[in-house]
Amino acid sequence: MLGKTAIRLTVMIFVMSLAGIAQGQDKIQNYFKDAAGKVKETTDPTQKREILNNSFEKMTKALNTVQGSPLVSKDDKAGMEHFKVVLKEKQDELAGLNGFERVPDAQLNDFADYVVQDMEQATETVTLSLVALLLIILIAVLI
Amino acid sequence: MERESSASGRQSRVLPLGHTCLLNAFGVFCCLALGVVLSSCSSPPPAPSETAPEEVNALPSRYVLVFVIHGDGGYLYHNTDGKKYRADEETLISAKLVAERNSQAEVFIYHEKRKRHFLFLFPRHDGEFYYYRNGQLLAQESYWRDQGQSRFDPEIELYNRFRAEELSQSKRFFLYFGHEIPEIDGKGYDASYKDRPFIIHGLVDGLKHFTPDSTKFDLIVLSTCFNGTPHTISALSPYARYIIASPGNLHLSYFDLQPFEALDIGLRDENVSAFAKECARQSFERLTKDIQTEITVAVYDVDRVQSFLNSVDSVYDHTLTTLKDKPSKSIEHCDCADDSAYLQPMMSDGIDVFFRPARFGRSKHKQDHSGWECLRLLK
Repeated sequence: MLGKTAIRLTVMIFVMSLAGIAQGQDKIQNYFKDAAGKVKETTDPTQKREILNNSFEKMTKALNTVQGSPLVSKDDKAGMEHFKVVLKEKQDELAGLNGFERVPDAQLNDFADYVVQDMEQATETVTLSLVALLLIILIAVLI
Repeated sequence: MERESSASGRQSRVLPLGHTCLLNAFGVFCCLALGVVLSSCSSPPPAPSETAPEEVNALPSRYVLVFVIHGDGGYLYHNTDGKKYRADEETLISAKLVAERNSQAEVFIYHEKRKRHFLFLFPRHDGEFYYYRNGQLLAQESYWRDQGQSRFDPEIELYNRFRAEELSQSKRFFLYFGHEIPEIDGKGYDASYKDRPFIIHGLVDGLKHFTPDSTKFDLIVLSTCFNGTPHTISALSPYARYIIASPGNLHLSYFDLQPFEALDIGLRDENVSAFAKECARQSFERLTKDIQTEITVAVYDVDRVQSFLNSVDSVYDHTLTTLKDKPSKSIEHCDCADDSAYLQPMMSDGIDVFFRPARFGRSKHKQDHSGWECLRLLK
């Protein structure tokens, strides 16, 4: 299993380093798209919330880890900080914290789509280097 | 007939293509590989080229459409079923449909693609040009972008080479699809040419050459995020009668091209203003079905918005100068109506806005949008 993951990651890194930054952004978008898919597959609102919350937490952890790495630039760190703020807002809204109304159970599928669409727009505006993108995806997959 | 001009660095085809090859599969592969290598390795093209389309029907067209589709960046999006789409490729399909369905139109389509290499070594063309007249594809050329002083030099060279005589009453349209065209900085707009900046004045430079004899475009469509700003609309004003743009985020599924598929019907009474509003309304309705983020589509009547633009011009310029040296992360977009410096009685003159707030997030209760987007420092 571990060997399979390692091979997948090696291939992914190789392909992405050839394809460049846009491919890295695609992988981040896919991450949220996959979470939205899982949200829609279940009918249980508690599970839906759990899936969404886990996806935010995993990505935030990955961003925190990569931010501490000496391999990423100051600009990347600032970009990741912005990304984290966006994620925290989503997480707060899901739970109804920090002035947000809690997302109603009946709207969780729509909220999952909102996250995908907002992240697609966020990755357009937050420019990260290929190294940073690679590390984020790598760590988000491993966590 | 198929003609290739690899010596000029371009792969040119004057259609129709009737060429068949009787080589076996291996032979075909080798031919293709060699062809690509030869054409890709050649140096960037000197203009002009010899590929004028002899078969072109010289009758003037009632409509002229210029499409610029930027695809050199992150343009992936997903629909609500999780299906992947590439915004530029989807737009190219729609633009071709527009070109094929209008029997009295001259259509120029430029697809600006990511720079790629064959076998990791040999650069491949990063632009694809399609020329249609009267519903027929008359020419298709691969070209090199990033040539010359101005960003749109290669596109303008192709435009001048192919364009036919226009009727004085021809309706002219310019449609741009891509990410937000920045007003300051602009570096990194193209994934393949990171150091080459692209700002709104780069587009204006191009428009100058797409509008011979100072003829304005009847309608300019900016299918981009955040370009419904006083500065951008003001910069495009000398070249357009009407502009459709989004002052907010625009989902990558972009504005609808369907109304452009039947220009004879949409413009039967020659009313560009009504046509522009109908285009905006259709786009808005389609986007509101599946998109959860904010949707704002605005139509600007260029003559009628001038008094507002004149009154806020210096304020906006001052803001741009102030923000010029600030890191992009510290700048945010906002509705100009939320900034007292832009609150003018004539703010809504000459503008039609279709707005629905994001269904989630801090702004979900926002009631309306002025149709003008501004920039400010993050609080």
